[in-house]
Order: sequence, then structure tokens, then C-alpha cells
Amino acid sequence: MNMGGNAPKRLALLWALVVCLLLGHNAWLWLGQRIAPDTDILALLPLDERDPVLQQSFTHMVDSAQQRVVVLVGAKDWSDAGRAADAYRKVLAPHGELISFDAMGDESQANWLSSLQPHAAMLIGAVQEKELREQPARFWTDSALARLYSAFSGPKLGAFRDDPFGLFAGWAQERAGETPVRPRDGRLFVSGAGREYVLLTYTLKPSAFSLGAQQSVVPLLDGAKAAAQQAVPSSEIITAGVVLHAAAAGAQASREVHTIGVGSLVGIVLLTWLTFRSVKPITLTLLSIGVGFLGALSLCWLLFGRIHLLTLVFGASLIGVAQDYGIYFLCHRLGADQGLDSPRLLRRLLPGLGFTLLAAVIGYLGLALTPFPGLRHMAVFSALGLVFAWLTVVCWFPVLIGPETLQPGWLARRYRGAILRWPRLSMAPRSLLPVALLAVFAALGWSRLTTNDDIRSLQSSPPQLIADQIKLGRLLDAPSPVQYYLVRGATTEEVLQREEALKRRLDTLVTGGHIAGYQALSNWVPSRQTQAARLALVNDKLLDADGPLAALAREIGEDPEWVAATAAHLRSNAQPMALEAFMRTPASQPWRHLWLGEVEGVQASIVALRGMRYASIPVLAQAGEGLSGVQWVDKVGGISSVLGRYRADMGWVVLGAYLVVFLALLPRYKRRTWRVLAPTALASIVTIACLGFAGQSLTLFHVLALMLLLGVGVDYGIFMQEDADGGGDAPWLAVGLSAASAILAFGLLGLSGTPALQAFGMTMLVGTTLVWLAAPCFIVKKETVHATPVPV
Amino acid sequence: MKRLILAAAFALSASGAQAAAPIAKIQAMLAKPDQLCGTFSQTKQLAGMKKPLASSGRFCVVAGKGVLWRTLKPFPNTLRLKRDEIVHLQGERVAMRLDASQEPTVRMINGVLFSLLAGDLGQLDSLFEVDGSATNDSWKVSLKARNAALARAVGAIALDGGAYVRSIHMAEESGDRTDIVFSDIKTGAGAMLPEEAALL
Repeated sequence: MNMGGNAPKRLALLWALVVCLLLGHNAWLWLGQRIAPDTDILALLPLDERDPVLQQSFTHMVDSAQQRVVVLVGAKDWSDAGRAADAYRKVLAPHGELISFDAMGDESQANWLSSLQPHAAMLIGAVQEKELREQPARFWTDSALARLYSAFSGPKLGAFRDDPFGLFAGWAQERAGETPVRPRDGRLFVSGAGREYVLLTYTLKPSAFSLGAQQSVVPLLDGAKAAAQQAVPSSEIITAGVVLHAAAAGAQASREVHTIGVGSLVGIVLLTWLTFRSVKPITLTLLSIGVGFLGALSLCWLLFGRIHLLTLVFGASLIGVAQDYGIYFLCHRLGADQGLDSPRLLRRLLPGLGFTLLAAVIGYLGLALTPFPGLRHMAVFSALGLVFAWLTVVCWFPVLIGPETLQPGWLARRYRGAILRWPRLSMAPRSLLPVALLAVFAALGWSRLTTNDDIRSLQSSPPQLIADQIKLGRLLDAPSPVQYYLVRGATTEEVLQREEALKRRLDTLVTGGHIAGYQALSNWVPSRQTQAARLALVNDKLLDADGPLAALAREIGEDPEWVAATAAHLRSNAQPMALEAFMRTPASQPWRHLWLGEVEGVQASIVALRGMRYASIPVLAQAGEGLSGVQWVDKVGGISSVLGRYRADMGWVVLGAYLVVFLALLPRYKRRTWRVLAPTALASIVTIACLGFAGQSLTLFHVLALMLLLGVGVDYGIFMQEDADGGGDAPWLAVGLSAASAILAFGLLGLSGTPALQAFGMTMLVGTTLVWLAAPCFIVKKETVHATPVPV
Repeated sequence: MKRLILAAAFALSASGAQAAAPIAKIQAMLAKPDQLCGTFSQTKQLAGMKKPLASSGRFCVVAGKGVLWRTLKPFPNTLRLKRDEIVHLQGERVAMRLDASQEPTVRMINGVLFSLLAGDLGQLDSLFEVDGSATNDSWKVSLKARNAALARAVGAIALDGGAYVRSIHMAEESGDRTDIVFSDIKTGAGAMLPEEAALL
């Protein structure tokens, strides 16, 4: 044995040591630490790093909603709904440590108005406030008389003397109108569509995104639903909660890991066997993929401390690329002279293999330029996986596969011949006509292409869940958690005043039907300024010495003493109201989430909108303009515009990557470099044209796939251009085998129910097929090849 | 042992029957006409006022339609309760309108008032504890709201009557009291005046 013979063995041993470390680390992670992949879909979304207050408001709104499970139990009649609700609660009652019932607190419901009584003089409904400014004194005397003599005078709070003109009653009615939910018989009641519903709200104790919580809570909720329907067969149960969506997404991703991973493996095993008629290449290919997967997992965990389930789903498609290196070596071994030993063969193949890895890693790392943490993980995971698989091929394959190990199988014999009859690109008219036709096809397809960056089109929750969500939102008239106004000010008073200025504008939008109403803390606690103005209004218009109160006394025969006493009583209910004090009362409980308090040195609050129409978003955005401290927030629109911006940016990144790869390959392939890249570029252009014809809109995920296609396609370009002298038809075989496997892997990704992955998969499927078919067209005839001599 | 269980079961059913017996008797006593109109006189004694406030007017209860409450003296104003709305008319002007779509409890309120005027005690049972006594031709009932919020709003209610409700007495927690006495009760097609039929 010479030195050259010993070095590969030492390298193989060293690599064996690394692989042992990986195995140990993985065993420790999965068996010792019992790690579980993340299923938080929001991890795929970019962090809003621009504005901490805005970010805080969003987490605030989302967090308060995220852990909640809202259930409506409905029946034709209230008592049936009650029975069904009791059956529902009974099932969940023993699991309070997992999901706890939010008791509504009878006391707080009954007392919420009495806690506001000391401030009643300043709590005036908007209609009444307007009437106070506009109506004559007689109007108020008449109104008080009607109230006085009527037996059932509508909503009435306290004694007549507490609210003779119905101002506080008007205000309370207005507040009650902010939600259709009412306490009834110790339950919460809401009605709609001919049914009466009991509203039950639960809080989830563990995170809605923890896999364990999903697995234990979802069956419990199903059980409770079944129990309710058993108690009252006609009952309707509507459930909504982030945990349900998370569980559905998690289940789908787990299912897909199985189909895509297993389908991919079966395909590759079959292909390899048909080509090499041996189990050894299969085992070795699997070995390289396995080491790649374990290595990527270990390092990703060390780097990020977590792994997302979707990263694993995407990682499953890694199989499609990681095999290329092994296949390239194996195909050459099959075609090479038996006198050439494997380490020397590898040394000859190393430059091609190296460039292949370089191009693929450039392709994958393009994904890391996106703002999505999830995609960054995927990029790093994939790039690392490829490096590990590549190193396994380089370190182990030459030692494990000797010159006589492989025999050509049935598929290899059949397929090899095809290359001889394959059309080549030349300047002949016979060759230029198809090129011209293709150009027309591409131009037509591109002209039909539309783009769509709406984040909602990426929604993949089961239709039933979405239908329930919509119905529940309508019944509860709940405000949107992702579209609202953010109001900031130096002090609490300033925030409340700015809210009031905003509300004056929103009132016209309510009249115009753009929104049904709004929720704001200033509805409950007016600014000091407004409190003073209202008190002055009441004093001026109602309690004046010869005003409506005095006139009322004359009509019913009460003396001036009564007038003085009543006026004094009303004025005594004008204690200044402070937000901090209100926040401590039970009445504030449903509205506390609207107040952010102090963030980054400023006070901030949220004005939420009920019954918002999507078409009205531009009008709403405009309503916030020009008001200092008021900002319109549209998280859906925001994310959609980020997706759009990155779709455009990634388009440039793809073009840039072509340039970088071109420059990286230029020293080796010189004037042939364009031939390496041309099949991939052509395939990308045609794939996008196909999208245009299929009526699909271009999304960020299509563009990301084009980036990856560059990484994969360049492999094939390199294989075909590499060593035309010694390789024979081995490169063609390697490309075919790789492309077929990649298509299997990515084609299955195209079956994913997650729209983003589906877009990605379909683009890869069409693109890879096209690269495979196009690659041989760009080979130069043997006699014109000026191959760089390879040092052996 | 067997005897004990039997006795317990008997005791339970007996206590149930005891509570329901006068109510059933009262229900049987009440005429349930499709239309019922009459006059009322109302006296209110409000907290902080020396003099009681007297008013009078006409009322109609029409099954399946609603209730019309017309105060004629000293100031005319009309309250109209239909299934889905409460409207308060001052002359021609709508002084207040509550709609079931904006206030979901409108149907419940109207149900209660309709039941009160028609003496339909069975309907009141879900919201009130009903306690009553009855002789051969008259009855008395007191209602206590089952939940605190309702109790705050309407207070304690007492009714008495024979074939029809004769009087209603309401005492609110705030100290305001209302007494309503009904008379001239007519039933059947001619009970409603033409202007009343137009309103309801």
C-alpha cells in the first residue's frame, strides 16, 4: 500500500468518528431530551422589527386571543341550549389544569353599573349629547315627564331622581350595544339565525402551539361536543380557537412528512435497484442521506435551539438533492474502466462534485435571505444536510465501493441509449424553430401572469374550522384582532383625547356603513376635557334655575326645594373619573385588553372595530390620517405587503445568484459556462409561463422554488458538461437518476395541503423535469470539446 | 327499606305538587282571550318626592301581536311592544326605539311584560320565583327575580286578580313604587278601538 492508498482509509475513519458523534447527539436529543418539533405557524412569518409599540400591540391583541377557546352551544330554545352547555362543561370540568372555564362572575355582572354611579353625570350617550346641544328646554321637560308617568319606560337604571332625563340610561344602552352577549340566568346568552346560544369561554393553560396540548385538548373538545349533542341531539356546537388551527396544521404536516418522506424513499430505492441491480448502492445512498439528515438536525438544534415541523417537512425533500452526489459517483463507477481504482476515480470527479455542492448551497442559502425565520431554518437545515451527505460520499464511497461492485441493471441499459438520439442545439433552422416556438409560448405565458401576495390565500385550515370561525365572529360581533387603530400619547389624558378625536371621524364611517361600531376605553372613561365639557352641558342645559328641571317641578307640583335637592344629587354623581381607577373595577374586565399602558415611554391604546368590511379598509386607513398619535394597523395587509416586497426582492436575488454561480463556474468551464446554466434558466422561464397559462398567481413561494431549482439544475448542467472525455454516458445516467428522484420528492411536495409548500413543490416538479429534458441539448459535440486536463 | 324509599319518593313528589298547585289553579281561573283591552290607573311614589304621581289611560294585549300601553292623562304618550321591538311614542314622534337586532334582550323584556299583563305565570317561571295563593274566585301572586340584575331592574312584583289581572304592584330597590289598577276590561273583536288597532 502506498501513501495514497492509506489517506482515504484514514479519512473514512475520521468521518466514522464524526458520524458516531452525530448519532450520539441525536440519540441524546430524541431519547434523552425528548425534543418535539415546533408547530407554530406564526414562526413562518417575519418579525416586525420596525416599531416596538406596534409589535407590542400586535402581540397583545394576538396573545389575548391565542390561548382562548370560544364555544357557542345553541338550540332552538334557551333551556335546551342550557342543558347541552351543561353536558359540554361537565366533560371538561375535570381537566381544569389543561383547559379552564372562564367563570363570568355573577357579582361583576350585576354590579358593573353601580360602580359607575358616582360618575353618572358625565356618562352621556352620543345621541343624548347631541340632543343636549341642539334641543330646546321643552324637549327635556317633556322627556322627563314621559319617563315619570310611563309604567314601563324602557331601560331604567336606579331611581327616577338618579337619571330624570335618561342620559345615563342612553349611555348604558350604547355600551351594551358594543356586544350582543348578555348575561341570562347565570349564563352568557347570544342569539342569531333562529337559535339561542350559550357562550362558554375557556382558557388553555399550556401554549396553544405545544404538540402535547393539541393532542390532549382536541379530543377533549370533541368529547365535550359529543356529550352536548347526546344531551340535546338538535344542538349546534360552534368551536373556535387558535389551538384547533394549530392542531389541524400540525396533523397535516405530520401526515406529509410520512407521505413525502416515505414516497421519496421508495421511489429512490426502486430506481437504484433497477439501475445497479445491487442492494449496496441503495444502502450507501440511504447512508449518505441519513448522515445528511442527522447532521443537519444536530447542527440546527445547536444553532437555533429549536426545530420547526415545517423545516422537517421541507427537509424531507432534501432526499431529492442529497442523493445526487452518491449517484454521480456510482454512475461513473459503473461506466469507468475496472483498472481505475475508486479513490483515483473520486479524485477525478472531485472538481465536478465540488462545484455541484457549491451551486446547491448557493441555491439553498438564497432562502436564508428571506425575513422568515422558518425559511431561514429550512435554508440552513438543507445546506447543512447537503454538506454532510457530500462529505459522506467523499469520505466513505471510495473505500466501500470497489471497481467490481456494480453491474449495469435493466434500466441503465435501456436508458443509456436515449442520449444518442437526443436533439442538440445548433444554428440549424431545424433547431431554431422549436426555440422560436418556445419563445412565443413563454412570452404569451408571462403576459398572462398575475401576482398574489395575500397572506389569507396561504390559509390552509380545514373549511369546517373556517366556517365555524366566521359564524362565531358574526354571532358575537367580535372585533377584528388584526385590523385596528393604535393610539399613542405622552399621558393617559392625551391618549383619551386622541381617541375621542378619532371616534368623531369614525362616527361618520358608522353612519356610512363601513363599520358597525368601535370599542375604545374612552367610551367608558371620557378624557378629563370631555368630562368637564359634559358636566358644563348638563349644568347649563338642564339644571339651570329656570331650566327643564325647574319646569318639570312646576308641572308635577314639587317645590323649589325638590329642584335644589335633585340638582345637588345629580351634581354629586359627577366625581372625576380616572382610567386607572376604572381599570380596577369588574366593569372594565372585557375591555382591559384595549389598553396597552406604558410602552417605550409612551402611553398607548387600541381602538378596535366591529363589523368591519374588507372593502372599507382604504377608507379606514384614510380616517386615521392627519390625526397625531393615531396609526391604522392592518397586520394582514402588512404581512401581505411584506410577502409582496420579498417576492420582488427575491426575484432580484435569483438573478443575482445566476450571476454569482456563473462567475464561480467561469474559471473551470470558460466559454462553455453558459451551457451549464442555460437548461436551468430555460426551465425557469418556461415554468413561469406554465403558471401563467394555468391561471395561477405568482407568489413568493414560486420564486423561492426558482432559487432552489437553480441549485438543483446547475448540478445537472455540471454533470453534463463535466468530463465528456472519460465519463461516457455516466453523466446522462446520473442526471436521469437524480432528476427522477428529485421529481418524486418534489412532486410529492406539490401534493402538500399547505399552499406555500404546494406552490413550491409544483414549481420544482415542472422545473426539474424541464431541466432534465433540456440539459442534453446543450452538450457540445465531442470533437469541439476543449476539456481542461484533470490532474489525476 | 323498600318502604323508606317509597316514602322519600312520595315526599319529593308531594313537595313539587305543593308549589305548583296554586299556580295551576290560577292558570285555570284566568280567561285567555285573544284580545284584551281596558283602562288603567297608575300611581307612582318616587324616592325624594312628596306627592304621588297619578296617571291613567288604556291598554290592549293582543295574543301573537303585542301590547299597547296608552297613557292619556296627564300627558298623552304611547308605548308599543311587539315581538322584536319596543317603541315609545310621544304624540307622533318616536321618542325611543329598541330593536331586537341591537338589543337582544328585547324579546325577553316583551315576553315578561306580555306575560304580566296576561297573567301567564307559566312563562314567568324561568325568570322569577313564583309564589301564590288562590281562593275560589281570586288569586294573589308574588314574583321574585331569579337573578340579581333583573331584581335590580324590576324589583319585587305582586299581582292579583280573578279571571283577569286586577292589579300590579312593583317595588324597586331604589325606593320607587308603582301601583297599577285595571278596570273596564273587554275581550273579543270589539275590544280594541279603531285608533288602537291602527297603532298595534
